[in-house]
Amino acid sequence: MDPRSLLKGLHPLEIKVLLRYSPGEPLNVATLARDLGYVEGHANQAQAWLSSKALAAETGRTSMTVYELTPLGRSWLESGSPEERLIAYLAEHGPAALPAVCQALGIEQKDAGSAFGRLSREGVLAMTPDKLVAVADAAKSRRTEALRALLAKAAADGGMLDDAALDAPERALMGEIAKKRGAGDAAFRAAERETVTWALTEAAAAVSALLREEGVSGEELGAVTQEMLESGSWKGASFRSYNIRSRPARLIPGRRNPYVQFLESVKDKLVSLGFEEYDGGLVETEFWNGDALFMPQFHSARDIHDVYYVANPTKAASIEEPYLSRVAETHENGGATGSRGWRYGFDREFTKRLVLRSQGTVLSARQLPKASVPGKYFGIARCFRYDKVDATHLSDFYQTEGIVLGEDVNLRTLLGFLEMFAVEVAGAKEVKYVPGYFPFTEPSVEVHIRHPVLGWFELGGAGIFRPEVTEPLGVSVPVLAWGIGIDRMALMALGLNDLRELFSYDIENVRLRRALQK
Amino acid sequence: MPKIEVNERLFFELVGRRMEDTELEAALETAKAELDGWGEDSADGGGRLIKIELNDTNRPDLWSTAGIARQLRVRDGGTIPEYPFFSREGDERPSEYTLLVDSSIQKLRPYMAGFVIAGKPIDDAMLRDAIQTQEKLCANFGRKRRVLSMGMYRIDLIKWPISYKGVQPDAVSFVPLQMDEPMTLRRILAEHPKGKEYGHIIADSPTYPILVGADDGVLSMAPIINSADIGAVQVGDRDILVEFSGTDMATVALATSIVACDFADAGYEIRPLRVEYDFDTPFGRAVTFPYYYQTPASVDAGRISKLLGESIGPEKAIEALARMGVRAEAHGQHVRAWPPEYRDDFIHAVDLVEDVMIGRGMASFKPERPRDFTIGRLSPIESFTRKAKDVMVGLGYQEMIYNYLGSGKDYIERMNSSADSIIRISNPMTENFEYVRPSILPGLLQSASVSSKAPYPHRIFEAGKVAFLDEAQNYGTSTRQRLGFLCSHQMADYNELAGVVSALLYYLGEDYTVEDGDDPRFLHGRQARILVQGVNIGVFGELHPAVLENWGINMPSVACELDLDSLL
Repeated sequence: MDPRSLLKGLHPLEIKVLLRYSPGEPLNVATLARDLGYVEGHANQAQAWLSSKALAAETGRTSMTVYELTPLGRSWLESGSPEERLIAYLAEHGPAALPAVCQALGIEQKDAGSAFGRLSREGVLAMTPDKLVAVADAAKSRRTEALRALLAKAAADGGMLDDAALDAPERALMGEIAKKRGAGDAAFRAAERETVTWALTEAAAAVSALLREEGVSGEELGAVTQEMLESGSWKGASFRSYNIRSRPARLIPGRRNPYVQFLESVKDKLVSLGFEEYDGGLVETEFWNGDALFMPQFHSARDIHDVYYVANPTKAASIEEPYLSRVAETHENGGATGSRGWRYGFDREFTKRLVLRSQGTVLSARQLPKASVPGKYFGIARCFRYDKVDATHLSDFYQTEGIVLGEDVNLRTLLGFLEMFAVEVAGAKEVKYVPGYFPFTEPSVEVHIRHPVLGWFELGGAGIFRPEVTEPLGVSVPVLAWGIGIDRMALMALGLNDLRELFSYDIENVRLRRALQK
Repeated sequence: MPKIEVNERLFFELVGRRMEDTELEAALETAKAELDGWGEDSADGGGRLIKIELNDTNRPDLWSTAGIARQLRVRDGGTIPEYPFFSREGDERPSEYTLLVDSSIQKLRPYMAGFVIAGKPIDDAMLRDAIQTQEKLCANFGRKRRVLSMGMYRIDLIKWPISYKGVQPDAVSFVPLQMDEPMTLRRILAEHPKGKEYGHIIADSPTYPILVGADDGVLSMAPIINSADIGAVQVGDRDILVEFSGTDMATVALATSIVACDFADAGYEIRPLRVEYDFDTPFGRAVTFPYYYQTPASVDAGRISKLLGESIGPEKAIEALARMGVRAEAHGQHVRAWPPEYRDDFIHAVDLVEDVMIGRGMASFKPERPRDFTIGRLSPIESFTRKAKDVMVGLGYQEMIYNYLGSGKDYIERMNSSADSIIRISNPMTENFEYVRPSILPGLLQSASVSSKAPYPHRIFEAGKVAFLDEAQNYGTSTRQRLGFLCSHQMADYNELAGVVSALLYYLGEDYTVEDGDDPRFLHGRQARILVQGVNIGVFGELHPAVLENWGINMPSVACELDLDSLL
């Protein structure tokens, strides 16, 4: 690899090694500790990083035993080994029974027993005729002295002793007290350790030369720290260059759902056109879901295979009057609306049956009794249909509907609104209107648009509410009613082609979904 | 909405000229119909089949080749067809055929009407079309034969007069179509495919309907099945009886008129049928069909202009109606219109207004910008929900949106919850969509459950509606706007979520307190009810390991659900 391209990615730990040593020179943890002051971790990192760039290579491995000072060893160093404490106690208090000494010193009897055994063999302690333990010759306690020296040496060397650094008596003593396993009750833990020897490769020479040429020392500053800024220590120093092309870490931000944002953008657009939003419950009665919309109770769209019925309870307690009576009469004979009605017996029990709202127009009907004139209202309502769920059908989904009340609204104003929706909401360039059929509007039209991507498709249906719908609900002015289908636009805006994806449970899928197109 | 196939040759013959596809498509719009595609070439070389979808369920006259062709022909400037074979009140056509309707049928399926096709043998295209018309009329308009059914019979085998009556289920046997041995009416209902399909219409009655000749030869067991001989019409048959039976006189009469006009348009002679009832009917005791029973509809020119937004005087309105096949005349500013023989859809004056609109053509109405000024605004709950969602995003949460229907397994069992207040659907399509969600938490848990491969931490939320039983309400149910959120990672705990709840409610401007909760979805002692001014508005805490296990979630998770409506 080109030495110059390596330069940017070098860490100060590597740089200092490259500047200090020549290719072939044997290196290990101890060398780097001695010359560069690296702790073991840093030395290993420098070796690993340099090796990954083929600037260093391993040259050999040696195995040796090391002894690590245990917490018990450290406590002996601080407050004395059992032997030392035994001698000190007896020297101070005179001969005593061993159990009494154990209790006074808080030493377990077996430890005190073995300490006494060792010390009496050395001749330091002795048993009096009346079975008391006493100091015989304190000066003979050489083993105790040697142990203390070993503990102190280990502590001074960072708690670690190499086998190679011990002399023969020390090694013998260590052999007695160090344990490989279960070292919790020993002063030292013995372990086998491998030492790796490595060296810079020939390729490193060019990099080292380049470092010198560029004046890089490895002493450049890393992160900008608070301390640096407070003290001004950054002045005159240089900062290490980072590899700006390395892959950034992935962030998982808090984020809005793109489909919900799409729905909100439609709402905002309709608000900007002067529409006020309405809302309502998910459970409806047959009355509002169909009867109030002048759909005869025998209409095929009100079949068990189209609408979901609520099982518990099955009926509303009552239907609001005077609307119920007026609607019933209108179905039967037209009532006061000038219609001849559907000419059948209106079922006042059926009308109370509870269903899941199957069309957004329900909310329009509910709005009529409280609507202002002039008035413009809309809703994006979750609706429910008895449909097999697939790529183009959902059992619950959104419908976008609205109404316009006004003394002077008419077919041409309706077309004007549809044109606005086509252009403002759907971004259409071409619009056409064809006669349509909906049970609750007359006249009825469909609006078709030529979408820049989707081509011609039906954007929605609309019409003027039949007097049989408006008059029983207390409205005497014409009411334009419209519904627009925005699902296809939503799918396109989100780059999807399956309606089920709009309501995805998959967190990663939603996280990675990109935002709306411009 | 019915879809039909029409024979291309027959269709353009009836329209009066050929049309290119684009022209046909545009023309079909005036019949609220759409070109749905092209079918196979018909076997006898009669040309392709055109597939058409009809949108207007109040215009059954358009559900046939002749019906659509007529609409297009007249709309194209053709004259309004004359059907002189219609009888009218006080103006009856002579008839050589008589049908007697017995009082025994009055309670069961009282009305029958019909006519005879003569003049030339029936050809393949027209027979196919008639069978299709029969299917569509009886399925859609006739509500699967409950209200209307139709039969066709070979007249040379019939002994006149014929009788329509109710008989004991075992009193009569005949060989039905598709069978080769005589069967009693009871057996037909139990065993014949059509008996099984439509038997429920008459099954509750002590007597079953039957149509028989003067020699007791059976024509059919209306509305179930025809006899295999008299009731088996084939290509080449010359004189054919067409009969309709049903429960509503106007429906039966209209269907009779529609099919008679279709055959008349195709060049057949229509001979009337006199029907003598043993009881009173809305049209009298003796009616000769086809019968024009419709009454004129009227509309003020002022109403037309007001609704269409264009000044349209009576004369222009009459012109437009004529292009829809509707004869009309002016009485001052008043327009009086007679529905064509084959239509009965002028329920209100506005129905005439629509015909004027289509007659003039959509292109003649220029869109007009609305002039009324109104102030637009989001609903209060929508505005408030958006504020809450903004805070959640700032707190690092990803917004989700879920379906509102689900299974008892997800909403009840896996949630360690009771079914006491959950709304169940009585006619679910599958058990996967049997309940309305009572809470947002099952959706969040399902997400966590299917997303174990998505990098952690998971922090998700949804704002939306839930619904549950509520006896205090008129509908026995309540719908509420809720906010739910879930946090899932190795260190997720009560304290983390408490911080989120605190921040959220701070920015929503609410002071709150917490108290110990006993929600089985959460761990005891690590859950809190949230109280605002003493009202419980939500719950949060560490999800119970049993709930997590139910969902197959192996990551510590905490969740919260708040009632936004209560905070509004």
